[in-house]
Amino acid sequence: MIEIKGLTKTYGDVKAVDNITFSVSKGEVFGLLGPNGAGKTTTIKMLTALSRPDSGKCTVNGFDVAANPYEIKKHIGVVPQENNLDRELTAYENLLIYGMLHCVQDKERKIREHLKMVDLSDRRDSLVSGFSGGMQRRLLLARALLPEPAVLFLDEPSIGLDPQIRRQLWDIIRKTRIEGRTVVITTHYIEEAEALCDRVGILAKGALIALDTPHHLKSSVGDYIVEYIDAEGKLIQHICKSRGEAHEIAKHQANSVTVRKSNLEDVFIKLTGERIE
Amino acid sequence: MITPAWYPIFLKEMLHFKRRLLKLGYIFSAMIVPIIYLVAFGFGLGKSVRIEGADYLTFLLPGLVAMSSMNNSYTWVSTSLNLNRLYFKTFQIYVQAPISPSSIMTGEVLAGMAKGIFASSLIIIVGFISSPDFSLTPWFVIALLLNCFLFANLGVIVGMVTKSHEDTATYSNFFVIPMAFFSGTFFPVDKLPVYFKAVIYVLPLTHASILIRKTSLDTEGLISLCVMIVYASVFFLYGSKLIKEYSE
Repeated sequence: MIEIKGLTKTYGDVKAVDNITFSVSKGEVFGLLGPNGAGKTTTIKMLTALSRPDSGKCTVNGFDVAANPYEIKKHIGVVPQENNLDRELTAYENLLIYGMLHCVQDKERKIREHLKMVDLSDRRDSLVSGFSGGMQRRLLLARALLPEPAVLFLDEPSIGLDPQIRRQLWDIIRKTRIEGRTVVITTHYIEEAEALCDRVGILAKGALIALDTPHHLKSSVGDYIVEYIDAEGKLIQHICKSRGEAHEIAKHQANSVTVRKSNLEDVFIKLTGERIE
Repeated sequence: MITPAWYPIFLKEMLHFKRRLLKLGYIFSAMIVPIIYLVAFGFGLGKSVRIEGADYLTFLLPGLVAMSSMNNSYTWVSTSLNLNRLYFKTFQIYVQAPISPSSIMTGEVLAGMAKGIFASSLIIIVGFISSPDFSLTPWFVIALLLNCFLFANLGVIVGMVTKSHEDTATYSNFFVIPMAFFSGTFFPVDKLPVYFKAVIYVLPLTHASILIRKTSLDTEGLISLCVMIVYASVFFLYGSKLIKEYSE
């Protein structure tokens, strides 16, 4: 469904995206995980024809983004990181304008259904400027899904949301996947990548440093982590291949020790020596 | 019924416009500058001045309509596009929609025209009330529409090239305000020195001021009409090109 080859984008002296290559299959939920400034948003912008790459090629649904942007735009929905709803319009008007731009048929019914899906039916005629951050993120998702796109791009969809709203958003994303859509999601929340993604690409400083299923990525590092605070107050972590190995290390420590399963942040730290923030 | 691709862009701007209109301050602010000029120059200075054999108010009113149509078409489009592109990011949804750059351009320009025509209509109403000699000729209407179109196109160009909101004021100070004063709004261009006149005749508002005062199309009017059409076409094509090449 999506093919990216050697994609590169530079802003001034900064290489935002550095020669990345990957592909996403139809119906897959693909995650791009990395800290702020890793190049996730720039990649999404290039895939959605909002930004031109300096070099490299990307195709979406069989069409080259540079050569056929018009065709690509018929098949994609985008939830941007920065809220680009029109705050001076109502929720309904935002969806109406978007529906018209994307030639959505039977708009009134679909707008009604999509507002209901994100629990905003009762705020249909309220101005978006009065919406909370969570309501605006939900409306952005409803807007992106209105034309029923084959590919949904979600750039940090749950940034700044409280846990309850975040989980509601995840349910909607899982539902779109069941409907057969391909989803590309960028996030710097480990939990989000693990909860939603079939495969995860890890980006650091514009480069793709790892790509696999969350399970394989974690296994490649070690399935268990032993954590304790040493005498100088520093957090010490041991990565272990098995539970037995972890318990063996833990039992020799005098201080309070935690043995837990590894997560994608451990993978990131192992690969880069830095934390995801 | 199939809606044209530019319509949602026009509709969005009109929904904004409707909300502004409901706040009475907008109408007042759209009228205040031309009314000040009308009172200061028309009723004050105008008592002792006659131009081209007629009283000054008769000369001034069409010029004020041309100026007002320029200001409102240009300013609204350039400001709103600049803000939507750089701050509110709502321009992204046009770029990511399956519509052509010329459709985006058309929607923005028609919205700018609508606002220019609205502001000009207010001056026209004041004109009918204040001057018995004021009338609308076909060339007046054509010049008004063409002027709104031309300056809404220029508004898109400025809205697309500016890198900050402050930049729009710079363009306005260097191009739009000098045009308002020297392009035949307040006095005929032929009163200016020859070397200065050449520069003034390059400016598009000069030709709107000439055409809007014509009762029939003479050679001078025809030249002005052609100059305005050329300007408008070039601005439209250049604006569409800027939208096509848009990249963040």
